[in-house]
Amino acid sequence: MNIKETIKETYLEVLEQTGSELLVPELTDDVVLLESGLDSLGFAILVATLEEKLEFDPFTMMDEPLYPTTFGEFVSIYEKMNPNNQI
Amino acid sequence: MDLIIVTGASKGLGLAICKRLLESNYKVVGIARSKTDEFQALENENKENLVYVQYDFNNTKDIHELVKSITKEYGNIYGLINNAALGHDGVLGTMHESQISELIRVNVEAPILLTKYASRSMLMKLRGRIINIGSIIASTGFNGLSVYGATKASLNGFTKSLARELGKAKITVNTIAPGYMQTAMTAGLQGEKLESIKRRSPLGHLATVEDVAGTVVYLLSNDAKNITGTTITVDAGSTA
Repeated sequence: MNIKETIKETYLEVLEQTGSELLVPELTDDVVLLESGLDSLGFAILVATLEEKLEFDPFTMMDEPLYPTTFGEFVSIYEKMNPNNQI
Repeated sequence: MDLIIVTGASKGLGLAICKRLLESNYKVVGIARSKTDEFQALENENKENLVYVQYDFNNTKDIHELVKSITKEYGNIYGLINNAALGHDGVLGTMHESQISELIRVNVEAPILLTKYASRSMLMKLRGRIINIGSIIASTGFNGLSVYGATKASLNGFTKSLARELGKAKITVNTIAPGYMQTAMTAGLQGEKLESIKRRSPLGHLATVEDVAGTVVYLLSNDAKNITGTTITVDAGSTA
């Protein structure tokens, strides 16, 4: 499973865990995160769960704070910061 | 068996908290700068359920790794007791800047960072307890403790907002504000000053570390599930 699929799967798990509902028909790259169904606490749970699954947290690794707006930006941060990427 | 992290675990209040938690069937990770003989003795009696982790909270940059290593080894964290603190006293006008920074780093920045990472375990499980050890000095003030008092008052503010933030995830956040206790931190408080504090207390004596440890166990329990964002004062009535 690639990172994007893992993020999508985990997103849906957290949605269910927090009793929230997906507010868009599908999680596409242009979906605005805070309009997608998870609130800010939900995203904290998502980042924590992803850290457990992927064994890294890109937001902690960054030197400067960066807050993604869309689902596509969120995924690309994980892809770019993945320490297992071969450079 | 729920896992609890206690900082400043090797002596005084932290050690008393570890003892009570073990008696109450929690698994405890005790973090401290150095291990005391008393902690070692407690560890010998509780080999299965008490673990020592060496860490100095003057170093804030490795706190994330510290929490990751604890959860990797021992599993998810149910409770965090932010007890470690420095108690430098002195008149502000002559206190060295490095000591002011150190107090703020160890007493405020470190517990906030530790809470940030430890709360992730709780967020994933949608259950947890965060207990910040404050002080009555945060609200009463004390000559020579302005910076210490500022750090403890800051924990009260942290508690209140974080309780609002984490409530939806069924995580409670509270402060315990002990009064004067006879520990290494208050060892400088002797003689007439100490006697006067005892005399003025409605109960005629000081609160003990055991009293505070008992309050910690209560806040961790199911009975305290609806207590969040508050301060429980344990001071034998000194601030009544």
